[in-house]
Amino acid sequence: MAEPATDLTFDSAALLASEEHEVTIVGRSPWYLAWRRLRRNWLALASLGLFFVIVIACALAPVYAHHVAHTGPNEVHAGEKVRVDGKLKDVIGGGSFYDVNKGRFVVKAPTYLGPTWWHAEGRFVLGTDNLGRDVAVRVLYGGRNSLMIGIGSALICTLLALTLALLAGYYRGGCDWLISRFFDIIWAFPVLLLAIAISSALAINGFHHFGISIEPGSLWIPTLVISYVLIPYIGRPIRGQILSLREKEFVEAAIGQGAGPLRVMFSDLLPNIASTVLVFFTLIIAANILTEAGLSFLGAGVRLPDPSWGNLIASGQDQIETAPWLSLIPGIAIVLTVLSLNIFGDGLRDALDPRAKVRIEH
Amino acid sequence: MMVAAYGVAANKSSSAPTKAYKKVGTLRAVLDTIDFLDPQQAYTGQSWWAMWNVYETLLTYKHVDGPAGYQLVPGLAQSMPKISSNGRVYKFTLRKGLKYSNGKKVQASDFKWAIKRGFLATGQGVGFYTDIAGAKAYAAHPTKGGNISGIVVNNKKRTITVKLTKPRGDFLTILALLFAAPVPSSTSTQILNGKIPGTGPYRFSSFDANRGFTMVRNKYFKPTKYIPRGTPDKIVVSLIGDANSATQRVINGQADYSNAAIPPDRIATVKNKGHLVLRDTANTYYFWMNIREAPFNKLKVRQAVNYAIDRGALNRIVWGGLGRPTQNVLPPTYPSYTKLKLFSHNVAKAKQLINQAGAKNAKVTVWTRDVSDARDAAQYYTSVLNAIGLNAKLNILPRATYYTTIGNVATHAQTGWARWLEDYPHPLDWFDVLLNGNRITNTDNNNYAWYSNAKTDKAIESLKKAQVLTPAVNKRWATVEKQIMQQAPWAPWSNRVFPEFFTKKMGCIHVQRLYGIDALRLCRK
Repeated sequence: MAEPATDLTFDSAALLASEEHEVTIVGRSPWYLAWRRLRRNWLALASLGLFFVIVIACALAPVYAHHVAHTGPNEVHAGEKVRVDGKLKDVIGGGSFYDVNKGRFVVKAPTYLGPTWWHAEGRFVLGTDNLGRDVAVRVLYGGRNSLMIGIGSALICTLLALTLALLAGYYRGGCDWLISRFFDIIWAFPVLLLAIAISSALAINGFHHFGISIEPGSLWIPTLVISYVLIPYIGRPIRGQILSLREKEFVEAAIGQGAGPLRVMFSDLLPNIASTVLVFFTLIIAANILTEAGLSFLGAGVRLPDPSWGNLIASGQDQIETAPWLSLIPGIAIVLTVLSLNIFGDGLRDALDPRAKVRIEH
Repeated sequence: MMVAAYGVAANKSSSAPTKAYKKVGTLRAVLDTIDFLDPQQAYTGQSWWAMWNVYETLLTYKHVDGPAGYQLVPGLAQSMPKISSNGRVYKFTLRKGLKYSNGKKVQASDFKWAIKRGFLATGQGVGFYTDIAGAKAYAAHPTKGGNISGIVVNNKKRTITVKLTKPRGDFLTILALLFAAPVPSSTSTQILNGKIPGTGPYRFSSFDANRGFTMVRNKYFKPTKYIPRGTPDKIVVSLIGDANSATQRVINGQADYSNAAIPPDRIATVKNKGHLVLRDTANTYYFWMNIREAPFNKLKVRQAVNYAIDRGALNRIVWGGLGRPTQNVLPPTYPSYTKLKLFSHNVAKAKQLINQAGAKNAKVTVWTRDVSDARDAAQYYTSVLNAIGLNAKLNILPRATYYTTIGNVATHAQTGWARWLEDYPHPLDWFDVLLNGNRITNTDNNNYAWYSNAKTDKAIESLKKAQVLTPAVNKRWATVEKQIMQQAPWAPWSNRVFPEFFTKKMGCIHVQRLYGIDALRLCRK
């Protein structure tokens, strides 16, 4: 029997055509791949879930205040009594008093109604502060303010930083020098000190220039101040990436084909840094919430009586021995929010570009 | 005595410590803040507490506890002055042999220089001396060589004659203010904190604006019947703004005394770790309502605010109950004080008055300064205004700029927080400064309610002439007070008592009604 000349056989055209239909290679976008990597990171997703829970709870603060607690965030109830488990209790009790018979003051610490844990028909669930205000309502409203400032300032800061970085990175030369020095000037100041200085300057009269009018006490003041002081922390690293991308062949090719600056920026450069910007945006929210808390703690952020987590911690300081919950509850809220954002931000970074080393440091 | 000492046997004696007690040695004190240590500039209680032991005035107050502490006695003057029958000329003679802490002789002309120096350096107290003949003209163009014609001095005879343009019943107390403490005529007009020699029992030996200062004995000081030699050999004062840290220093034995306002919640736990002394100084905390600005230009709105405030609750909120609820302008330490009960706490009535005034939802900005107690009080006040139907928001200003801002006519400040601690014990220090329409100025105005009323203004001007606070005069002051409060330009709410904290090792603690803790009469166990 004769040996075959070769092992090779030739498939028929029909067979080949049928196999082509069976194995289809699907093109997958980087975003899809990132999502696949992200959904394997359960810790990051759980953190995102926690963040959404906090956001939703804070967003519903007016509903809780109106329908459950029956009080506003700034309403003082000192001197009132509340029924807890059927017993009438002072919202603020105790305290020193002048004893007419003894002819002197009797010194006693005031007592504040502690958490009622739903035993007072939804009132004072987390207790009262030293003015007899509902802590739960103030924490939720405080969270609303802190999150609004954190997210709002992150948006503004990221947009401004991105714009400046694109201009600096694309045009290079004098434009880059000017923008880089602007970053340097802001960077030269400690973030919190610069923010305090600007906030204090705007505290008395607000801002009324260039057709913009912001009243003192407006949430826009801390929002814009935080946006401004953190610009270089996003702008600088993005500028570096754009400078690098600007030298790539595909950018040269686009310019060679006659693409204008705007088109190159938005069609070629921006898509290539989008993942970095997204990670920065997530992380800067956390950083901004912390900065706001620091500012408000020092009295230069959200103005009293409006609550924010930072000023709630500060207000509770003097009652730390008798009513520790006043500082602890907003403190825990900040920790959970910042932690959830940071864990999610790290997960997002790993998912979008595992080699990247994006960090917000200041 | 009025001062209630907690945890310490209140010393009813005004004499020097008994033999059972030890010498103080070095007194280590902690103050929260001072403004200046220059007699023509300082205008805070803390600075005056220290400077009262360094600088002497022609007249001064007794180093005793209780109401007798308000009694004027000769200081640098050898006796009380001769006053002309028209109440416009005051004649003093300096004591013999007076020397500053640098050994230089005290001259009668040094008093004149002190007043001139105040005007030249635009000191904070110059307003008190503008009724001296020629002072207003001098204030308009102050020069070193210029003259205040109303002050005539004779260095050889040690005499000082002061002539006023009009009689002032409180002028002797004004002369006892530290602004009028003589300083050597070679003293520069620049602010010289802790560097100007004085005639008191101590002198400043060091000063650091951020850390503190030290006072040591003045070897040229000779005690008098009214001014004793101090018990401490040295007084070391640290400046610590944080009340908790300051209090902890005393508890730890690192300091003997702290004037820091202990947070209400800590007072009960702290009181057993040292001597807590409640100092009953003359003060009134109040909310002012600008009668020129809507909606407070309506009497019913001002009355509504007075009805709406729960003064007891507010005292408990702000300082844990260490204050007496009040509706008076004057504190109860004054002989002309008559307790007013014009407004009982009634929120429903307050709402009704707001509706009747047509002020519902009227926009109101509440002003306060960025200090813990003022913030708390103003937050309560804002909440109350909202509760009665106004639309109030809060504006918190930095401590340093608060009073100048609300005292500026251009601010149009509607209502806010304020307090007044006496400069000197006389009703004029309250009604003339704070509520006399004739004294309203467009800037640096102290009459934050911009209150002016022909009837009460006239009564105040008339009472200015009374040289002595007789029972009849006191009664007239009480009438003026009632008339003013019926117009409700203020909502007074507290006469606060100040907690002062001492180490357990301190044996006797005395409180001078005007200047507070009397450092000259302290002793250790």
